[in-house]
Amino acid sequence: MSNFTKEMINNYADKLLIGLTSEEEEMIQSEFDQIEKNMNLINEIPDISKVEPLSFPFEVTLTDLRSDEDASEEIPIDILLQNCDSYEGREVEVPKVVG
Amino acid sequence: MENINKNISELHDLLVNKKVTSEELIKESIAKCHEIQEKTNSFVMILDDAKPTDVTDSLLSGIPYGMKDNFSTKGIVTTGSSNSLKDYVPFFDATVIKKLKEAGAVGVTKTVLDEFGMGCTGTTGHTGIVHNPWSYKRSASGSSSGSAASVACGVYPFALGSDTGDSIRKPAAYTGIVGYKPTYGMVSRYGLFPYASSLDTVGCLTRSVEDAAIVVDAIKGIDENDMTSWDSSDIKLKENLDGEVKGKKLFYIKEICDISNYANPSDELKEHLDNFKKTVELCKSLGMGVEEVNVDKTLLNALPPTYVVVSYAEATSNMSNLTGISFGPRGEGDNVMDMIKDHRTKGFSPLIKRRFVIGSYVLQSENQEKYFLNAKRVRRLIVNKMNELFNKYDALILPVGSGPAKYLDENMNIYNGENNVLEEHLQIGNYGGYPSITIPNGFVSKLPVGVNITGKVKDDINVLNIAYALESKMDYKNQLAREVE
Amino acid sequence: MEYKVVIGLEFHCEMKSHTKVFSRGLNGYNKTPNSNIDPIDMAFPGTLPVLNKECVKKSIMMASILNCKIPEYMTFDRKNYFYPDLPKGYQLTQFFNPVGTNGYIDIDVNGTNKRVFVHDIHLEEDAASLDHYYNTSTIDYNRAGVPLLELVTEPCINSADEAIAFLEQVRNIYQYTDISECDSKKGQIRCDVNVSIMNENDTELGTKVEVKNVNSFANIRETINYEIKRQSELKSSGRYNEVIQETRRYDDESGTTIHMRSKVDAIDYKYFTEPNIPRFKISEELVNEIKNNIPMLANDRKAKYISEYSLSEYDASVLVKDKKVSDYFEECISYGCNPKSACNWITTRLLGELNKNEISIDEVYIKPNMINELVQLVENKKISSDQAKKVFTYMLEENITPLEIVKKYEMEVIEDSGLIESLVNEVISENEKAISDYKNGRTNMLDYLVGQVMNKSKGKANPSEAKNKMLEKLS
Repeated sequence: MSNFTKEMINNYADKLLIGLTSEEEEMIQSEFDQIEKNMNLINEIPDISKVEPLSFPFEVTLTDLRSDEDASEEIPIDILLQNCDSYEGREVEVPKVVG
Repeated sequence: MENINKNISELHDLLVNKKVTSEELIKESIAKCHEIQEKTNSFVMILDDAKPTDVTDSLLSGIPYGMKDNFSTKGIVTTGSSNSLKDYVPFFDATVIKKLKEAGAVGVTKTVLDEFGMGCTGTTGHTGIVHNPWSYKRSASGSSSGSAASVACGVYPFALGSDTGDSIRKPAAYTGIVGYKPTYGMVSRYGLFPYASSLDTVGCLTRSVEDAAIVVDAIKGIDENDMTSWDSSDIKLKENLDGEVKGKKLFYIKEICDISNYANPSDELKEHLDNFKKTVELCKSLGMGVEEVNVDKTLLNALPPTYVVVSYAEATSNMSNLTGISFGPRGEGDNVMDMIKDHRTKGFSPLIKRRFVIGSYVLQSENQEKYFLNAKRVRRLIVNKMNELFNKYDALILPVGSGPAKYLDENMNIYNGENNVLEEHLQIGNYGGYPSITIPNGFVSKLPVGVNITGKVKDDINVLNIAYALESKMDYKNQLAREVE
Repeated sequence: MEYKVVIGLEFHCEMKSHTKVFSRGLNGYNKTPNSNIDPIDMAFPGTLPVLNKECVKKSIMMASILNCKIPEYMTFDRKNYFYPDLPKGYQLTQFFNPVGTNGYIDIDVNGTNKRVFVHDIHLEEDAASLDHYYNTSTIDYNRAGVPLLELVTEPCINSADEAIAFLEQVRNIYQYTDISECDSKKGQIRCDVNVSIMNENDTELGTKVEVKNVNSFANIRETINYEIKRQSELKSSGRYNEVIQETRRYDDESGTTIHMRSKVDAIDYKYFTEPNIPRFKISEELVNEIKNNIPMLANDRKAKYISEYSLSEYDASVLVKDKKVSDYFEECISYGCNPKSACNWITTRLLGELNKNEISIDEVYIKPNMINELVQLVENKKISSDQAKKVFTYMLEENITPLEIVKKYEMEVIEDSGLIESLVNEVISENEKAISDYKNGRTNMLDYLVGQVMNKSKGKANPSEAKNKMLEKLS
């Protein structure tokens, strides 16, 4: 009996705006217990919560940054929208956004 | 007379001495690409109208190469091997592509990858499975599958790759070639489709250490478009390749290399680990010291899940721009959110969907502490341990994987729950941003296998030299793939 | 029944800079859609953020002014969610390590001092803008990536008056430091208003209601007052359980707040550290350099106007309320204008005109150099102060300069004593009765007679000259 229901799996996917077919749901559901079990190997390390998380491969400290004056050139609108399937004039168009 | 399968320096000499022209090389390369495409399926695209360039002092001038299809190429479709970007045409070049253009190199192919770099089998790209040129029944590994297979076939001397957990260095081992992942930040990631930003590194696939050095010399450098890049102008890789390694000290990890760690070792595994022992002896004969070191098994076992958690979590965020709104094929839907969901549902393969679900799961606020943050803590522990060891030793040497390339079968991508550090240790190179290179060190079941050398941050020259020296003592330099099975 | 009101504000303000905070796209109003774009503003695959030094410095300056603790490093975090105005699918912000924490600012609320505590101030980026039509919406990415400063207060504000006084003070600081124009008409501000009520002697706070994206100070006041009323009515009638922890929005048309989503539907933003931006060291030198370069704030200017120009406290307050007015005043002085005169013209005539026509001081025709010109004309006795008032009106109506007006209407004061004398003689000869009245003791007739001279000269005679001459002739 899995810790994870199909609803739960679907919910995690839906939070990323991804839909799953019933096969995909089943595949992931069948694997999830094992996946979670493996992830818990992380928690077998004693006192793991006392360690500072590492977000970068090595500590880099910047001492200077980009100047405000450093500006990019205007990009022609036809290039900006060359991959866009739906636009109106110079703007990208989508179905009406509510809420 | 075939020229295209020669190495970079040889090609450069031929070009400079006008024994061959850039146009001829490109023509030869493209013809060969078409030849191998049917059996290996290495390419998303072959650029038949690639133009030759002038031959200059630059070693790469006039020479064709392959581009993994997650590098933005201006005016040329770049798909990431995903249906979500199948017709996407970038209007800018990735920095490395720009630099290679400036060096006179000619991109002639966009090579297949595991979708967005998220895979290690070469089976998840939207144009189909990549086959290992040594045996078409086998995987070329991934995610830089097409780049590795094509270089192994000798269609050009080098191809660009990207490495987040092992994506350059493992395919290199399984196709019998060299895969080099430089120190994180040495090469700009601008224009590279991101997978996990704190792990992604740009590198190359070649057939010799020297060629790898030449390529990275040309593509490295601080980039104002990538805040994680740093100034490496005082690091000259090719120039410093001298094979002087006497007195260097290497270590390997007992818990990974010792056969006694494995309950039911296959013959192939035994052979592979024996091969590794021979490589260790070779190192010693070169005057290097090699020591066995213990690393806590609990820590090692936590590495594969750490990779899963950190990289899948970062990936979910990095791919959130793929909505089909301003680029990519529009999804269907009466409202925007449905439309976005439709694009993503249709555009992503089932395997990366699984990774996304895991990524989504570990970032839920109730799970962050337990998984995401703890995984980042494990990252710190392993990096601390490695840094401690790198204070004593020049480099870590380990066998790549558990043997030769795996058979392509439908069960390949099923999650079997195995937590095998031997298959996953290359991640260490990404956790700490260490320079890391794989070179071929023999054969198992007639198929190539590799060994990996990883060193300390920014110590690329040292790592390359150790590989260079080792390579010169073995017979696999410049080797080309041949069908053995 | 009156309850204790507890208010917390999250005040977002677009910053002034040449380029955006994480991209080289231009930051500035451009009515051509999608013209201020760098590839990262539309989140094309493979693009990376590049942090703007000026935005960092300005955020440190504000943190300093708010007496906040400033961390050793500047870092950023991703706030992940999907919305069509958020191209990357996440916003770069500062969740774990804001540029300023635990600060405060002292404000004046109708004569009383109050200290408002600041929970944090942080630097982040704005989203793209959406326009809505019948059944489509369009996206303009010009605004995507514009730098924002978000100021979060502790729940220590207790009335709409306090909230507005606080916000006006903050706006003032933003304007005087040039960190932001803070102009609601340009859509540069957005405030999330959190309101709860409790019994005076309760220790536990009441249920907090959040009203999001209120975009002007007037609407913020309305929002607070409406919420206080709504929540109080429910509590008084024993229905406090109907006040739920929710997010609402302010509806301009009805002047009410409307439910958007409840706490259970709250979005999980999955915050994590941005891996593409290494930490930036905020050195002591940098902080000191920034502190030493904080421009004169409103209170400093006000004090200067009082001590150096001898303006009244009231007048000085009026001048500094809006930085543009204060700048205008200082520009007048830079031409050599008498400060009190400049102040008078601004406070008694100009500001009234601006209010009446609902324009700002940089939109009005009359520029500082013209004020100076007008004042000089009076000081040099070329025109009388009465005439000056007329000139001011003509300037507004006809949009020509004081000198041009004086010339056009022939207003130049008559200095010629011979001419004045002849006018005086004329008046004397025409006003026998008035003359004899005056000589019989009605000294106020003098003003009438001088007035006649002024009339004859169409107001151009020098009044004191005319008076002197008249006295001469009558004696």
